[in-house]
Amino acid sequence: MDDVQAAASGDRAAFQRLYRAHVDRIYGAILRLAGYDHARAEDLTQEAFIRAWQKLSGFRGDSAFSTWLYRLAVNVALMDIRSRGSDPVTMMDEELIPDHGETPFCAAERDELERAIGKLPPRARAVLVLHDVEGWRHEEIGAELGMAVGSSKAQLHRARGLLRKVLGERS
Amino acid sequence: MNEFEWLRQTRALREPVTPRRDLWSGIEAALDAADTGTAAPTTRRAWRQPHNWLIAASFVGLSLFAGSLAVHLRDRTLANATASTTPDVSRWRPNDPRLAGAAVELDAANMELRQAIEQAPDSPALQRLLMRTQRQQSQLRQMEHQAG
Repeated sequence: MDDVQAAASGDRAAFQRLYRAHVDRIYGAILRLAGYDHARAEDLTQEAFIRAWQKLSGFRGDSAFSTWLYRLAVNVALMDIRSRGSDPVTMMDEELIPDHGETPFCAAERDELERAIGKLPPRARAVLVLHDVEGWRHEEIGAELGMAVGSSKAQLHRARGLLRKVLGERS
Repeated sequence: MNEFEWLRQTRALREPVTPRRDLWSGIEAALDAADTGTAAPTTRRAWRQPHNWLIAASFVGLSLFAGSLAVHLRDRTLANATASTTPDVSRWRPNDPRLAGAAVELDAANMELRQAIEQAPDSPALQRLLMRTQRQQSQLRQMEHQAG
């Protein structure tokens, strides 16, 4: 019996081994969605693993356990963003957003980029992180965040534009 | 910079990150609390047998049970009130009186959250609050350790 099966049948030690094996990847994804806020990311990571334990008996093996756990964790982070209620993208100053003709891409050092992503409004950050960092398609983002594909694309353009402004248009 | 270069730059951020502290203890505490809370409904289900005589007998016992429950709850409320105003000397207390005050508050919060989780074991909000409280207790210990 592997650790996933053992944990699904209530073996806490097996679940702890799964935690050790996957926590870094899960924490990394949540940390990016949480805007590099470590305290919040720690809370959400713990919540994700608690949910995983509670839902593990329903895991049927249709996908890899790592994929199932990753999607569950991302969902926990997105629920946290949704629970805050606001739609920060619509609250952005329109002057900060580039025209459609202007390229919103710019080069930055890794630390600068992380700090700039952390300054983005939560929902804009979620779209940018899921698409540009995690490699999700707009269809997946739209389904997860409850928005149309076109809205996801528009939000991404706005988020990139805001990020460029935060980084100071250095390219 | 074009989109391809941009995506190469952003995809490089997609790396595992090790948490600054071990999160397992908080997870385990929450799972323990949930296990404790879910034990009661299982026990209650075992009592639901379809015997009419048992149902009739339960009406007789119900009034006695309600009376004893009321007395028990009153005693428990009094005990809780006493516990919340009396520091528990068996627990860890920092030497610094400011930290000691915070430790008492966090202990009380921890205890109340555990009681609440027993009533609502599936509440993520309560579990998150408990983890946050435990993290603050851990930070308090670190502060005490750093202060020497």
